[in-house]
This record gives sequence, structure tokens and C-alpha cells, in this order.
Amino acid sequence: MRIDFLDENELKARFIISDANIALINSLRRAMKNLVPSIAVDYVDFYLNTSYLYDENLAHRIGLIPIKTDLDKFNMPDKCVCEGEGCPNCQISFRLNIEGRRTVYSGDFTSDDPEIAPVYDNIPVIELYEGQQLMIEAVARLGTGKEHAKFQPVSVCGYRIVPEITIDAGRCTNCGDCIDSCARNVLEEQNEKVIVRDNMECTMCMECVKICHDRAISVEETGDFLFTVESVGTLPVRTIIKKGLEILKEKAEEMNSILEL
Amino acid sequence: MVEEQEKEDRPLTGDLMFPVRCFTCGSVIAQHWDEYKKKIKSGKSERDALDELGIERYCCRRMFLTHKSIIEELARFHGAVG
Ligand code: SF4
Ligand code: SF4
Ligand SMILES: [Zn+2]
Ligand SMILES: [Zn+2]
Repeated sequence: MRIDFLDENELKARFIISDANIALINSLRRAMKNLVPSIAVDYVDFYLNTSYLYDENLAHRIGLIPIKTDLDKFNMPDKCVCEGEGCPNCQISFRLNIEGRRTVYSGDFTSDDPEIAPVYDNIPVIELYEGQQLMIEAVARLGTGKEHAKFQPVSVCGYRIVPEITIDAGRCTNCGDCIDSCARNVLEEQNEKVIVRDNMECTMCMECVKICHDRAISVEETGDFLFTVESVGTLPVRTIIKKGLEILKEKAEEMNSILEL
Repeated sequence: MVEEQEKEDRPLTGDLMFPVRCFTCGSVIAQHWDEYKKKIKSGKSERDALDELGIERYCCRRMFLTHKSIIEELARFHGAVG
């Protein structure tokens, strides 16, 4: 198994995993989506809310704001010394006290720890008109996507099988029907011959195979997978991938130890 | 009224409220909202504005295109603004 990064930045990565199988790749995808922890607001104390939104509504909005996560700083609540009651090792508070008339942005929250703050400070949270006031304390903690989607560190996280497209030159009549039928522009004509332009774009819809009367083209699965992962900003993509692999390994080892008993 | 709002450093836009995340893919989009409105106001087409902001998927793009402000309708029943 090999991983080759095609392009990568802090928030988005595309990479190819070669010589793998679907079961493994899919469990990696699920690990990244459901098991890699990140911080999100989970509990909001409302001292005063005279705005247009209900408390629940507002709490939901605040929960969706991504918060920069440092996995070394916090424990999972159920594995913390406080046994899930809540302490500085597993929780962090954001305070807000604002009167109208103005728009409240995610950057207006004051955090206990300046490093653990909303990723973007210009997410509009709510608008307060004259005489409206908001006084809240939002408590954030680590959680996983399994529990609630707001804890998911990724938005897009999926893979596609990289196909192998072969055109049998002996059978092909160069009619060009396959080029027209492909919605992803995978094939093109060059020197009056059909060639594969970019097989990464292929979705394996098999339209080209169906339309070819001479059975000259074939699209087959390979053991290579094109992964696209996009972070919501809480963790860098590389950390998410690494953490996902670590979790998979842990689970496999756990399974091993169960079988040995 | 409009002038008064413009003078403030955080003017009200009258939107209740742009979704923080895309309903479909879950990526965070609300940080682009103010910028998007500014671009539209300056006469750019929606397409160019979204392209410049780097919003590529059509699930996220429709969030911007189809957002409708309802604060004024709500305010009528609340009494403070209207
Ligand atoms: S449809 Fe078949 S015969 Fe026609 S160009 Fe494509 S591969 Fe060749
Ligand atoms: S399988 Fe579908 S996407 Fe792939 S080359 Fe054929 S028509 Fe295009
Ligand atoms: Zn604790
Ligand atoms: Zn989307």
C-alpha cells in the first residue's frame, strides 16, 4: 500500500492510495468521519436572550461554528479524570455579552484559552436590534462525528476507484461514439484515434462501454483509490488522516487481543 | 435608516440568518457571506462572486443563491423593529 498526495493544503487534500481494497479504504473513510475527535460547543447557558431567535435555535447555530482543536490539550469527557462531569481538562467556555444594535460574529466570543477559538471570526451568529441583549456562556468539549455531525472534522471525505480504461485498437473503428457519450470528458480524439485524456475523472458509469457496438472499450476496477478529504478547519487535513489511521490501527490491535484470549 | 446603519462598524444586514454550514456537504460557508454580499452589491454576477470565493460545489452555491431574508417578516410580530 502506498499513499501519494496529488495536491494538498491546510484544508483540502487529494491523494491516491494504491494496492488497497475497498473494505480497508472504506473503514479509513469512516474513521476520519466518525471517530476522529474535534471540539464543538455542546452546552449553552443562556443568562439573557431577548433576540429574535429561540435559545435552542441559537445554541444550534453556535454548535456549528468550527473551533480550532488541539488534541493534546483535551481529554475525551468519558476518559477524563473528572469522569465526565466537566473540568478544565475536558471543557472550555466561551463567553458573550452583547447589546444591540449590531451583528454578533463568531469572533466576539471570549475564550478561556486564546489558542482554542473559532476558526473563522466573521461567521454571523445573530443580529441584535435596539434593546435586544444576549448574555451567554457556551461550553465546548471534544466529541466524535458518531455522536453529532458538528464534531466531524471533515466535510467532504470520500473516495473513488481509479479505473483502468483500455481501448482495443484492433476492434475500434474510431466512430467517436464513446467520446460523445462520456459526461465527464474522459476520452478524446487525437490523430483520429480515441485516447484516454484523464482517467481520474471517470466515474465508472459504463456509458462508453454500453454505446460501443464493437466492444472495443473496457473500463475495469483497479486497486487504486482517489481520496478527497476536506477539513472544516478544526484540524489540519494531515492530522485528520494520521489520526484516522491511528484509530484504525488501535481497533485492529484491540481485535487481535480479543482473538488471542 | 440605511445611512445610520452604514456608519456603524458592524452594520445590520437584515438577514435571518445565513446558515453556518452547507445543508448537504457540511462545509463551513457563513464566513464568506459578508464578502459575498459586498461583491454582489458592487455589481458582480453571482457566478463570478462564488467563483472568486472558491465555493465550487453546487450544494454550497445554492445556499448562497437561494438564501432569503425573513427578519422583517418576523419583526412585525415581535414589536421592536418593523
Ligand atoms: S465507441 Fe467503440 S468503436 Fe467507437 S471510437 Fe469508441 S471504442 Fe472505438
Ligand atoms: S465509464 Fe463513464 S465516465 Fe468513465 S470513460 Fe466511460 S463514459 Fe466516461
Ligand atoms: Zn474532565
Ligand atoms: Zn455543500
